[in-house]
Amino acid sequence: MRIYNKYVVFLAVVTCLINTILAFMGEKDIAVYFTVNVIAYLVITLLYVYFNPRARKILNTVGVVFFASFLVIVTLKAVEALSG
Amino acid sequence: MRNPYRMLGLVLCLAGGTFAPISYFAIGSVPFTALGLSAIMLGFTSIVLAGTRPPVSPEACELILKTGMQNTAALLEELDLRGKAVYLPSTITGGSPRALIPLADNQDILHIRGKIPARLIVRYGSDPGDMAISVTTAGSMNIDLLETRPGPTSGEIEAAVTYILTGVLDIATSVAVRLTDGTVDVEVKGSRLHYEDVWYYRCLGSPIASIVAAISSEALGRPVRIKDEDYSNGKSRIALEVLSS
Repeated sequence: MRIYNKYVVFLAVVTCLINTILAFMGEKDIAVYFTVNVIAYLVITLLYVYFNPRARKILNTVGVVFFASFLVIVTLKAVEALSG
Repeated sequence: MRNPYRMLGLVLCLAGGTFAPISYFAIGSVPFTALGLSAIMLGFTSIVLAGTRPPVSPEACELILKTGMQNTAALLEELDLRGKAVYLPSTITGGSPRALIPLADNQDILHIRGKIPARLIVRYGSDPGDMAISVTTAGSMNIDLLETRPGPTSGEIEAAVTYILTGVLDIATSVAVRLTDGTVDVEVKGSRLHYEDVWYYRCLGSPIASIVAAISSEALGRPVRIKDEDYSNGKSRIALEVLSS
């Protein structure tokens, strides 16, 4: 299961790095953290093309759920910006 | 709780689910809340990955692989077959890819004439001595795991072999394929099934070489023979000879 281990460790390292960098940049909006983490998840999952079909299918489903949450946040931010 | 990914996922979800609200409402720290959310995301991913692990344990798979190999090895030794096997694509066998081992001593299969029937003892040429045994190998079975048949380029063969060896079977870390005129050179890094100097491997190659040969044969649509195989510095090097059909 080395490919699973690599994927989980890579995901953990990247999300920690993203959170640390955003914290050092003084970011105070939780939506920004979540959005960047979701994008990182989608990109990393896309890079692991050699996963077996079952794993790829289920990770794509999880990706769709995260992407839907990302869209909700973007929509709320857009509505907030438009309403002033 | 034997599945480590499920265990890891539950721990991360629980830790993140507790840490995130405390950080947000009690401490008022957004970075710590984000850390909790990341833990939940990672935990959720681990839990879903746990469900994709095969239901059969690696020990059971090894047992089945060894049983099959020992049965074929017993057949090879009993018939005193020492020739190198030729891996045939499904276009020649008419079904699943198979490997042919010549019955005659010191005879190499250079040309295959016509379709090879799915039987144990088969004729592959016009000469009365062109007889061989046809066996199913680990490589033959893996062709079914490919979603599409790879094309005859080194890139497509490399992608198909990498997909099978690293993604599906997880028995290697990376694969490099170089296709030159009549030869396919393959380098497999981090392989966990090495070549051993035993009868079975001398005839049919190691399981990794067998998989590489079967995929290459299927991709090129031509018979392929394992010319050379060695293992050094954590790398398996496999040289395949492409025969004319």
